Amino acid sequence: MSKELEKAGLPVAIVSAMYPVVEQVRANRIVKGVSIPHPCGDPSLPQDLDARLRREIVRTALRALESDVQGPTLFSPDVAVNR
Amino acid sequence: MRLELAEYPVKEIRLARISRYQSGVLEIDRPAFEDMILCDGRIAEASLAVVHPGDNVRITGIRDIVEPRVKVSGSGQVFPGILGPVEAVGDGRTHRLSGMTVVASAAYEGTVRAGLGVQRSALLDMWGPGAEASKFGALAHLVLVMKLIPGLSEFDAHKAIQGAEYRVARRIAELTIGVEPSRLKMYDLSVRRPALPNVILVQGCLTDDHQAHSGVSYYGMPIRESLSTFVHPNELLDGAVAVIATRGIGYFPITWDWQNHPLMLRLCRDHGQRVNFLGIILQRIRYETFHGKEVIAHNAAQLAQTLGAQGAIVTWLGSGNAFVDVMLTLRACEKRGIAAVLVTYEYGGKDGVDSPLLFYVPEADAVVSTGSRDRWLTLPEAERIVGPYEQLQILSYPGAPVADARGQLILDARDMVIGGVDNWGQESWICNGY
Repeated sequence: MSKELEKAGLPVAIVSAMYPVVEQVRANRIVKGVSIPHPCGDPSLPQDLDARLRREIVRTALRALESDVQGPTLFSPDVAVNR
Repeated sequence: MRLELAEYPVKEIRLARISRYQSGVLEIDRPAFEDMILCDGRIAEASLAVVHPGDNVRITGIRDIVEPRVKVSGSGQVFPGILGPVEAVGDGRTHRLSGMTVVASAAYEGTVRAGLGVQRSALLDMWGPGAEASKFGALAHLVLVMKLIPGLSEFDAHKAIQGAEYRVARRIAELTIGVEPSRLKMYDLSVRRPALPNVILVQGCLTDDHQAHSGVSYYGMPIRESLSTFVHPNELLDGAVAVIATRGIGYFPITWDWQNHPLMLRLCRDHGQRVNFLGIILQRIRYETFHGKEVIAHNAAQLAQTLGAQGAIVTWLGSGNAFVDVMLTLRACEKRGIAAVLVTYEYGGKDGVDSPLLFYVPEADAVVSTGSRDRWLTLPEAERIVGPYEQLQILSYPGAPVADARGQLILDARDMVIGGVDNWGQESWICNGY
């Protein structure tokens, strides 16, 4: 999907816990997600910490969208994830 | 550990008023067995049916299939932790009835509505293309047709179906006690020849740790998130590994598959001739983070190396992201100098032109395909239905459209046929396109 959207001229950042799989299909902007069932957060965290984690993942995704990349590039949110 | 497996072939099963095994004919005292099943208050209705290869019959509602076995000497009993206490198995003598199975079919609604935990059942045709698609089309079956009482928990439903299935199977196998077997096979890996390569079987197991039953059990305990462990092949022959009994899907191995694991059996046969077979690493897969997948891959390879493996046959069960764990395991083995071969089914789509596998690593340079699970299959109209369902729900959500089970069925994947996906290379398929 991300490749098709990019073909149409929209930059795409894909958040995924299985980032090597995403790399393999050659998506351009890849954001490291937390886990397969919860790529964009961690419901086992207290609410405020989860909110901080989610914000950081979204910020990283936005940073990825703004970046000029040549081929698959991995962006890592600055978080410690206990999983 | 030394197990003698005595084989008693069954050519014909008859429902009768007496139970006995005599020169390949198995007679089953129908009312006695039906009463035995109904002793469990969770089972509301039960009846027996017999089907043979070539019968124009479609079996519906299949949850699991087991080969009848009983231990006649050595510690423990078949299906330890399920039919009896947790006791070591794999030693002594076990009787098996070959050429036949006990099929557990059951009507059951289930309480889980989404994901892998949803109850599912599969079907089996005993004639035509459906029989050709599954190894079970060539065996005779004693079919238990059951209906569970409403309101059971998922785990209770599982226990009820599995309990009836395994108890009936063991009772049948007991009919061979005192009878001369047609064949005896010895399973003993104790002597190794230093000139031969040491080979291990790595069996990846997708399990759902958040479900009532995770899918695969070890001595009756569902395997949840766990590190790899070592299992002796003889333990499998005695039923130490078993499966969930509320989910019959073509690409999940069932009890029969674990009892007759084709890679394990072949490695046992080749032990001392071509290889030293070290045994089996049971590896839980489907970790939810990439980190977890890397750790379990490392852990299995570490165990393989510690056991002295020079070669590893890596195979798996399940679908989806668990395959990443499998590929990483191949890589981890190769990095340690253990030559690794993958045995897997493929996807590939209806015409075989889609990607056959989800994920690749360059170290996976030897892969054996057991065929595609995606090829469409048309099953012709059946004359007779055996099983609890006269109508089939192709999709499993409540209220999903139903089709007449007797009619022609066009299946877009092999999942609905029990044995329809060749997980571990049991079939003798020939590749006719590449």
